[in-house]
Amino acid sequence: MARRARRPFAGEHVSTEAVVSAIKESGSNRTPLRIAGRSTWLDAGRPVRADKTLSLRDDSGVVSYVPGDLTLTVRAGTTLDEIGRVTGEHDQWLPLDPYGSNDGTIGATIATASAGPLASSFGFPRDLLLGLEFVNGRGDVVRGGGKVVKNVAGFDLSRLLTGSWGTLGVITEVTLRLYARPKVDRTFVVKLRGTEKQVTGLLRAFRGAPIAPFAMELLNATSARALSLDDNPVCLIRLGGNAAAVDAQIKAIATVVKVDEVADAMWSQLRNLENGADDTIRIAALPVQFVATSAAMLKDEMPGIFSYVNIHRGVMRIFTSPQALTVAAGIPDGRTSVDLRVSSENPGEGVVVYEKLPAEVWPIVSPTVISDSLSQGIKKAYDPHGILNPGILGD
Amino acid sequence: MTQPTRAPTLAHTPPTRSAIAERLAEIVGERHVLSRPSELLVYNSDGLPGYRRQPRLAVFPGTREETIAVVRLLADEGLPFVPRGAGTGLSGGALADDIVVIGLHRLKKIISLDVENRRATVEPGVVNLRLNKHVAPHSLLYAPDPSSEAACTIGGNVAENAGGPHCLKYGVTLNHVLAMTVVLPSGEVVELGSKVGERDGYDLRGAFIGSEGCFGLALDITVKLMVKPQTVRTLLADFTSVDQAAHVTSAIIASGIVPAALEFMDGPTIRVVEDSIYAAGYPRDAEAILLIELDGLDAGVSADLEAVRRICLDGGARNVKVARDDAERMKLWQGRKKAFGAMGRLAPHLIVQDAVIPRTRLPDILATIRAISEKYGVVVCNVFHAGDGNLHPNIAYSADDPAESERVHKAMTEIMRACIDAGGSITGEHGVGLDKMGYMESIFSESSLNAMCELRAVFDPERRSNPGKVVPVHACKEWHAVPGGRLRVSM
Repeated sequence: MARRARRPFAGEHVSTEAVVSAIKESGSNRTPLRIAGRSTWLDAGRPVRADKTLSLRDDSGVVSYVPGDLTLTVRAGTTLDEIGRVTGEHDQWLPLDPYGSNDGTIGATIATASAGPLASSFGFPRDLLLGLEFVNGRGDVVRGGGKVVKNVAGFDLSRLLTGSWGTLGVITEVTLRLYARPKVDRTFVVKLRGTEKQVTGLLRAFRGAPIAPFAMELLNATSARALSLDDNPVCLIRLGGNAAAVDAQIKAIATVVKVDEVADAMWSQLRNLENGADDTIRIAALPVQFVATSAAMLKDEMPGIFSYVNIHRGVMRIFTSPQALTVAAGIPDGRTSVDLRVSSENPGEGVVVYEKLPAEVWPIVSPTVISDSLSQGIKKAYDPHGILNPGILGD
Repeated sequence: MTQPTRAPTLAHTPPTRSAIAERLAEIVGERHVLSRPSELLVYNSDGLPGYRRQPRLAVFPGTREETIAVVRLLADEGLPFVPRGAGTGLSGGALADDIVVIGLHRLKKIISLDVENRRATVEPGVVNLRLNKHVAPHSLLYAPDPSSEAACTIGGNVAENAGGPHCLKYGVTLNHVLAMTVVLPSGEVVELGSKVGERDGYDLRGAFIGSEGCFGLALDITVKLMVKPQTVRTLLADFTSVDQAAHVTSAIIASGIVPAALEFMDGPTIRVVEDSIYAAGYPRDAEAILLIELDGLDAGVSADLEAVRRICLDGGARNVKVARDDAERMKLWQGRKKAFGAMGRLAPHLIVQDAVIPRTRLPDILATIRAISEKYGVVVCNVFHAGDGNLHPNIAYSADDPAESERVHKAMTEIMRACIDAGGSITGEHGVGLDKMGYMESIFSESSLNAMCELRAVFDPERRSNPGKVVPVHACKEWHAVPGGRLRVSM
């Protein structure tokens, strides 16, 4: 029988009504708002022109959780840590591990569409989000989607708000799809020594092998060293499921290359590496292009440049400090080196997404991402006074 | 906004039907335009029974360029239209009430297949199953598998955000589309999403998927393909009570095993299927069966198979049969996939609902449905995607019998209310279309519906693409005032 979990914690609710009145007030005074969760990433250095901050940090807590349904509705200010704790009590989890720490809020995670290594098997925030409530720039409370796992009623406002960086509305509540925790969840490291050709061969073998890792990331030597794994590039592999499935995969990998088990905590350490970074750039390309280029990238190590590659998704993350980029690119004015770095490593028809840059670099490198007429039309309809995070996605 | 005053000259008289037909024929060729009422009969319904709307004209472009030219001509003339794939939809979404149908089934090129990167780009008229047959030799598959897969098109799947039995594990169309080229109702061509799967900015691809033809037409669609699972095993568990099967469904979901599919059929459905040419060997005396598919790596599947068998037996299953080979698997699946077809034996029309409920509510909602069917003296068959709580209660009846129709519709309305009250949704995969528009206000507030109207107005400011569907017009605050809001339907 369905058991309604007791409400395990209830933060001090700012409530949807409070968000509505803050937005209405800003609308009538034309005072732009900076929308914040717990400000762990805040604006990723993006140039927001705002007079006031509207923080959702105190609007946290579980609204409803029926473990048997594997769905969870929480207020937007709930942290990923809190979600992990509540669902963990029922042997469930939200398999969403954005880079950075678990101190961030779910609202910010959805608003920025932030994902991490687990996205290769469990999908992005857009894939885990079932519905949400938000307050648009006029102060109207809007709901999109619902609370069930499958739903096509109405136009898809949930996807629209995901990754909109607070520019279309302030997310106040989300409903998420949960999974049961796997019976077994183990992490392994493969040390990548040898020639570029050998590494390329190994990566291709992984792609074709009878394995379905929860996550698999290639780390360059700088990252590997920072995690005390090795002085050379490594491949981190997370295998989960029932014991038989995990054992079979370990065997399959072991026929190709030597693997060593490491602590699960390696993943949170990896995600935390980015906390101190000033620049984070994501480059996406077709997976196979990456197999060819990533081996070269890993070998061609530059000090202070952290990078990892997700072979399944074909996504490379590069992060560092501006100083390191300056040194790496040999350019006195380090700021524009970001562009050079990206263009030299961007293979084929890739997509470059700038996640985090120093504030003064944004105007130089970041193209306006909502300049097309559809995006402009939506922005104007949902935030007619232009008071929600103005400038954060360009203009 | 002030409209320029127009002199009543000939140029502003709406063009006649034959004039439009002629100009469309110049684009697509005469044989690809239908304008005689007798020819148009075929297009006066879709998969939803009981609703008929006669289109004015039907046009079938054969290329991407022709499609764009057709949309631009209709834009120039301010004429509304309905995009149509294979017409298998179950919500009345493809019905065109005295306006133009743009049929896209001739756009059936598989433009590219990238085996190594596991993606394909197709035209909207490519039939779902054909794409799967095309990629199968490379051990790849396209996961969304609506029961109409042998006929329905990828373009239609995108419009409806179609699901299917296997979306329990693999997700719906939304989760498998990377990018699209779209022609907006204005004739403008835009790219949504990106082939590499990442893009900054608003998720317009996500907004377009499931927009039921109201945001424009997809000209090409790039989808993700999956590697075929190493092993697929299919089980059939049969029960002497519906309640037992419902509880076992909840128990499997709660166990953490994610089956590739978890389908439910009740006694009346089983017997109709077994009486039909689609007989699958289901036990005729069972009151419910669960069809459960597990896939993945060999070793993992064997362990899960044992666990699921145990849950079924502990939950009261009489027998748990595991298909021995692919032929047996296919036979078990055929009964499920053709169940709606088999219902044709009972009566000329079939009404199918698509509500979704929280999965733990399955046992009590099924009991409620039984009570409602008894109250109205109708036979409700239940065949549905139990794993994600997506019900398809259906009633075979004669739409030509007014008294019977009324009882059927009353029963269906009451079932829908029960699902909404349980915290569910009115549609899991069929779409709102015309059929479920009346329920939209029960699940969305005025401001939520208005936000949907505003989104639509960005893609289609004149509301010419599939007008009168999904969101009730009266729910759109701004729409009443706009002068261009009145559709020019006369031709």
